[in-house]
Amino acid sequence: MAGAPDERGPGPAAGEQQPRVACPAFAERLGQGKPQQGFLSSFFSSNQKCQLMLLKTLQTNPYVKLLLDAMKHSGCAVDRERHFSCEDCNGNVSGGFDASMSQIVLCQNNIGNQAHMNRVVTHELIHTFDHCRAHIDWFTNVKHLACSETCVRDRAILSILAVRNISKEVAEKAVDEVFESCFNDHEPFGRIPHNKTYARYAHRDFQNRDRYYSNI
Amino acid sequence: MADGFGWRPPRPCEAYRAEWELCRSAAHFLHHYYVHGERPSCEQWRRDLDSCREWEERRSMEAQRSLCESERGRVQTARKHTLVWTPRQSPPADWHLPLPQEKNK
Repeated sequence: MAGAPDERGPGPAAGEQQPRVACPAFAERLGQGKPQQGFLSSFFSSNQKCQLMLLKTLQTNPYVKLLLDAMKHSGCAVDRERHFSCEDCNGNVSGGFDASMSQIVLCQNNIGNQAHMNRVVTHELIHTFDHCRAHIDWFTNVKHLACSETCVRDRAILSILAVRNISKEVAEKAVDEVFESCFNDHEPFGRIPHNKTYARYAHRDFQNRDRYYSNI
Repeated sequence: MADGFGWRPPRPCEAYRAEWELCRSAAHFLHHYYVHGERPSCEQWRRDLDSCREWEERRSMEAQRSLCESERGRVQTARKHTLVWTPRQSPPADWHLPLPQEKNK
């Protein structure tokens, strides 16, 4: 599950670790799904497939649509070409958020199908949303990292261990210290979006927020 | 309108009905029990739905008061946990800057 955090190759800070969060697949699945060998495999490169699946996610997925709206509202409008990059990655990592470049990396060699893409984009957009709304010290503050990864305690611990050279005990302590606060921070959803129905309701509430706050 | 301030329920009445029905669904019961270890409580959504309808039909001041109190309670509950990190006053300065030139896309 662990992937080298600086595997993207030489960048403006070559030789230095960059504050990038590498994330395994999002909450409900462990490990890798089997890539479907369908129509897309025959005619498109992995980069083209990645781009096509990304486009579909951005246009249709209710979790992602709410996150994009919330980010635009916070001053971080997302531009597909600027803020997403489909690349080959080492290891089993599905994607990551590169805070130094304000970009989401999608591992085109490890994202096998549309459902997987949906989950990875949702997960990375949550990191991006947190980065947009708060001062997060991704690199040196393990508690900050733990907070952005918190959905399920054990998954958060594993996610931290994938990107930081720290002991399991330190990771566990960080997650436990922030869990109460971070687990209850449901922004921008306002609730835990267990499935797409919850996500649609959350998006509806977000679009209704002006009426809501002016009438309570 | 009954009041001069242009007040209306914070959500359309159909939203209260939808939330009440979602709350009472089997799937929500299971999700809620798994996460919190207890049954969900859905009665407040029903009360809010009734208040909303009462306001729509009769412009009841009591219904307005009840709805406001209920929604303020929800907002309070959502905000009671202090954030681990410091909120920004403005988005990151480099968000919209172009990528470094040496990056291959």
